[in-house]
Amino acid sequence: MTATDRTTTAGEPILRLEDLGVTFSSETGDVPAVRGVSLHVRPGETLALVGESGSGKSTVALASIGLLPDNARATGRALLGSTDVVGAAERDLASLRGRTVSMVFQEPATALDPLTRIGAQIAEVVRNHRRIAAKEADALAVDLLRRVGIPDPERRARAFPFELSGGQRQRVVIAMAIANDPGLLIADEPTTALDVTVQAEILDLLRRLAVESGTGVLLVTHNMGVVADFADRVAVMLQGRIVETGPVEDVLLRPEHEYTKRLLAAVPRLAVAPAAVPAAAKDGAAAGSQDRPEAGSQDGPRTGTEAGAESATPAPEVPLPRYAARARKANTDTAQGSAAGHEPVVDLRDVTVVYGRRIGAVRALDGVSLNVRPGETVGLVGESGSGKSTAARVALGLIRPTSGTVTLFGSDLRRTRARARRELRSGIGVVLQDPVASLDARMTVLECIAEPLRVHRRGMSAKERQEQVGALLERVRLPRSFAQRAPRELSGGQRQRVSLARALALEPKLLVADEPTSALDVSVQEAVLEVITELQDELGFACLFVSHDLAVVQHFAERVVVMRSGRIEEQGGTMDTLLHPGTDYTRRLLAAVPVPDPVLQRRRRAARLAATAGAAAGGAGATA
Amino acid sequence: MSTFLYLTRRVLQAAAVILIVTVATFCLLHALPGGPARGILGPQATAQQIAQFNHEQSLDQSLPVQYFAYLGRLLHGDLGTSYTLNEPVAQLIQERLPKTLVLTVLSAGVGLLLAIPLGMWQAVRRNKPVDYVITTLSFVAYSTPVYFLGLMLVLVFSHILPWFPAQAPQGDTLAQVFADPAGLVLPVAAGAASVVAVFSRYMRGATLENLSEDYVRTARAGGSRRGAILRRHVFRNSLTPVVAMLGYYVPVLFGGALVVEQLFNYPGMGLLFWTAAQSSDYPVLLGCVLVISVATVVGTLAADVVQRFIDPRVKEGRA
Amino acid sequence: MSAVVQSGQLPGGTGPSAGAEADGAGVSGLRLAVRRFSRNRLAVIGLAVVVLFFLFCFAGPLLYSTDQTHTALTSANLGPSGSHLLGTDAVGHDELGRLMYGGKVSLVVGLAAGVLATVIGTLWGAAAGYAGGWVDAVMMRVVDAGIAIPALFILLVISAIATPGVWGLILILGLVSWLVPSRLVRAETLTLKNRDYVHTLRAIGGSHTRAIGRHILPNSVSTVVVAATFQVADAILLVAYVSYLGLGLQPPKTDWGGMLSAGLSATYSGRWWLIVPPGLAVILVVCAFNAIGDGLRDAFDVRGRG
Repeated sequence: MTATDRTTTAGEPILRLEDLGVTFSSETGDVPAVRGVSLHVRPGETLALVGESGSGKSTVALASIGLLPDNARATGRALLGSTDVVGAAERDLASLRGRTVSMVFQEPATALDPLTRIGAQIAEVVRNHRRIAAKEADALAVDLLRRVGIPDPERRARAFPFELSGGQRQRVVIAMAIANDPGLLIADEPTTALDVTVQAEILDLLRRLAVESGTGVLLVTHNMGVVADFADRVAVMLQGRIVETGPVEDVLLRPEHEYTKRLLAAVPRLAVAPAAVPAAAKDGAAAGSQDRPEAGSQDGPRTGTEAGAESATPAPEVPLPRYAARARKANTDTAQGSAAGHEPVVDLRDVTVVYGRRIGAVRALDGVSLNVRPGETVGLVGESGSGKSTAARVALGLIRPTSGTVTLFGSDLRRTRARARRELRSGIGVVLQDPVASLDARMTVLECIAEPLRVHRRGMSAKERQEQVGALLERVRLPRSFAQRAPRELSGGQRQRVSLARALALEPKLLVADEPTSALDVSVQEAVLEVITELQDELGFACLFVSHDLAVVQHFAERVVVMRSGRIEEQGGTMDTLLHPGTDYTRRLLAAVPVPDPVLQRRRRAARLAATAGAAAGGAGATA
Repeated sequence: MSTFLYLTRRVLQAAAVILIVTVATFCLLHALPGGPARGILGPQATAQQIAQFNHEQSLDQSLPVQYFAYLGRLLHGDLGTSYTLNEPVAQLIQERLPKTLVLTVLSAGVGLLLAIPLGMWQAVRRNKPVDYVITTLSFVAYSTPVYFLGLMLVLVFSHILPWFPAQAPQGDTLAQVFADPAGLVLPVAAGAASVVAVFSRYMRGATLENLSEDYVRTARAGGSRRGAILRRHVFRNSLTPVVAMLGYYVPVLFGGALVVEQLFNYPGMGLLFWTAAQSSDYPVLLGCVLVISVATVVGTLAADVVQRFIDPRVKEGRA
Repeated sequence: MSAVVQSGQLPGGTGPSAGAEADGAGVSGLRLAVRRFSRNRLAVIGLAVVVLFFLFCFAGPLLYSTDQTHTALTSANLGPSGSHLLGTDAVGHDELGRLMYGGKVSLVVGLAAGVLATVIGTLWGAAAGYAGGWVDAVMMRVVDAGIAIPALFILLVISAIATPGVWGLILILGLVSWLVPSRLVRAETLTLKNRDYVHTLRAIGGSHTRAIGRHILPNSVSTVVVAATFQVADAILLVAYVSYLGLGLQPPKTDWGGMLSAGLSATYSGRWWLIVPPGLAVILVVCAFNAIGDGLRDAFDVRGRG
């Protein structure tokens, strides 16, 4: 089932958009979201619609199924088979939805009715289009649950959505979508809210279902790795228009449009040791890699396991983001522990955090020890629920550990007095994930950035403060005039830079950044990370960088700490650990990351599937 | 959290609330002119009687000791004796409380039966004339003092149009009350008006919120029609917060009953309370306050428990 | 049973406004709120009604001056006429003049009591929410206990003990109705104290005082303003109940509730001018404040309830 096989699938397009336009009327006037979009999807093929936030890609998807919000107006044509969705009556649309076309949404947490059992929700879709008895529909629902890989479907059909994990809920949504074998499946960021390992499973499932039933798929995503993994053709959107369309190999490997090139250049790419993936098939294969300090220099042959571990480098043709330069340079010396002589700026020793008591107790952290030395960047990675954010919050002193010690700049936080502790904390800078929640909407940018100065530099005059804020704004590459703006007037990337300026106001020795760029588009992410890197070179602060994105961490951090369900799975030099992981878990994590190169990704996928199949056959039972 | 754990915690909370209420009534008792002795023995008591009473009831002891003595009496069901009716307060309340409950439950039930469909209708027809008309009517119903509304009802439906009696059913037993259903119409209508006003607004809000939820979009994407989505999904999801809200509304219902009973001369607890207030019958007043508060706490507790059983998420302590 | 409405304020919650923040640049939050408010027809009408009633009560006596202190039994119970536009009451006061005179008391007491209740509730709720833990638990059980005793019952008990003046009335009404705002503000505080900017401030060593004073209170303003508006509506209604319960002001002082209660005995005698004007006044003003609160809630996009 290669991509070429699937693109050749002939047939009339199941979806054909002709000069589609969508305008939203808002309180501040009309906003055009989509302009002159034409595209088609044939049965059996997957068209990926990619673009950054605000490009209009989701709007195109919603317009194609007639689910635009009430304040939207569509023009042009959106043909589903022979029906034009634009201007169709709600009654006609309802008879199409769930049968001819169906949709999988981004947020599995809210996509299902919380009060209705999942079996009943699937059966409802079945009975919307087929006149069959309730019992029969229930039986069909159980079958569908089995098809989407829900274990013990008879019992699970009676479960409520909250009893399922995010990945399982997404499977249920998919079961609803395929209930009546639709000709077209629209998937709007179907894996964005999921962890990478779950993402890989969901993509595998969608691919299998599409192939089995020859369904056409319109995949909306911002993730180039997902595109490479799944799509046959790609349409790139920018500001409501399609700027480039073509087969996935062409667009991803030989982009023509300027924007596509820029977009692809900004995507952080996971450097992979080509042999490391097959190595996962046998455990212990890469065990020897841990104490191998030097990074290799060339692409190794895809041979046996040991040989692969020897030669570990990013594929040479992979362009590296600018912020990666330092990490690569540093990797050679810091991973060795050249900074080991200095006392860590923050040191967590055997920290355990337990929420609740007795029966309901949850161990958020379990015996975690990690430190950050002056000037170095430590990446803290893991999936949701791994405890990485909790660890960062312990380091920040926001969460008091149940046991264990936290040493900040050489002082044990438990033994310092409140006043001294506050003084210590002036050495910390903080950037958190949500660009909106990070800044108080009622303050101006000036007040936001000046807040640390007001706390710790009481004597400073208003004029000095203003001057310093101006300087800080320039540091993070924002114009001084932004000082008088309100946060709501800024974009996400600008807001995160304001947060960064605030974090740097007191010239901290440690910057704690908790997923600072995960809410941003890749191009914006690149710019923000670049600023951090350059400032770090200039000011020499250490950085504890929490992220779920292994590719970003790989380029950005010198050391990496991999966490899993409250424990540290492994830690070490970044290149070393992420190229030659010492544990199965890290290996699985790495294997699940889709890379934005369709050829390489196809190989990685095959290797990963072989590995899981091998593991399953071997009775290892390593299913997550 | 298991159901058992939840129930235990919730009951303990309720107990704490009731304890705080007893402290409040105890304080009120001591704030009465002439102190609790005067309050309990009545205005005709002599100084000697009061001194003797104070000694017997340990009122010459320290306040904490007195409080525990007071609590002990309460636990034995001793709420004191009415000095105008010369009967134990507990017994008086026991006779009247069921009638008040009948009135409040009927008002709430009738009100909700009207409010829930009205609210959903408004949400579906949001910002259409129907929505504006019902919204305006709810504002008016909410803003009209119950005594004024009740009187207008009597004027129109009893005086001008002789459809219903102006007086609520009399008699001591519930059977006698139910024997005269026509007499209940106007009191229940007066009591239900604000329930309709408040809960139709609440249902409207909850429905609108649910209509914008993702699961509605999922259902639409699966080909479900608007009516079916409203019936199968939105209705139940909107109802759960409304049920929780009902718990908070219990004290308001009792407050309404106080005025309605007085207005229609319905011999429930509200009327008992009213007459006691006219004659400064403190034991009755404080006894009623205590019982009403306990009823309120129990009502709130019941609403919480009901909500827990209709919403599986709450059961797991996740909502 | 409305005034008792300890927790029964008319809930609204129109849900998220469609179109969301398509492009908020250049439009300040306050301007946006004003625009949304002005689009809510009922709210604008409500605002107009309130303004008119204030003019009527405070400026009206300048144009239509009447004697509201001395009784004039010779001209009692007169119907509406040229010299008495709305007739006279049982002791000869001009009804229209009395409506202005009583309205002053109703509006002032309602406003003051509503604001007092909101202030107490805000402080209590913010303290409980920010402190958290067992302090919060104890403080909220006190609120539960307060809510468990219906306000009308408390007022009736107090009426059996004492007869307060205007200031006493404000104090009593404020003290029995702060519970709902305290719950709202507590919920708001709980949300706000977990905002990232508060975490950031705490992490770099900012004090609690600063977190509360600079972030939590300023951000609760919209919630508090909305709560206060509803609180004023409820307080005006409560004032109307107070006279009915026998806790009202002593003649010749009066308020709309007092006029209404006094006029009730005239229901069947056809002297409609004794009931309809004060009744309508109460209903209109309370409706108006509720509509304003509703509009403000939508404009600020705050949730009416925690």
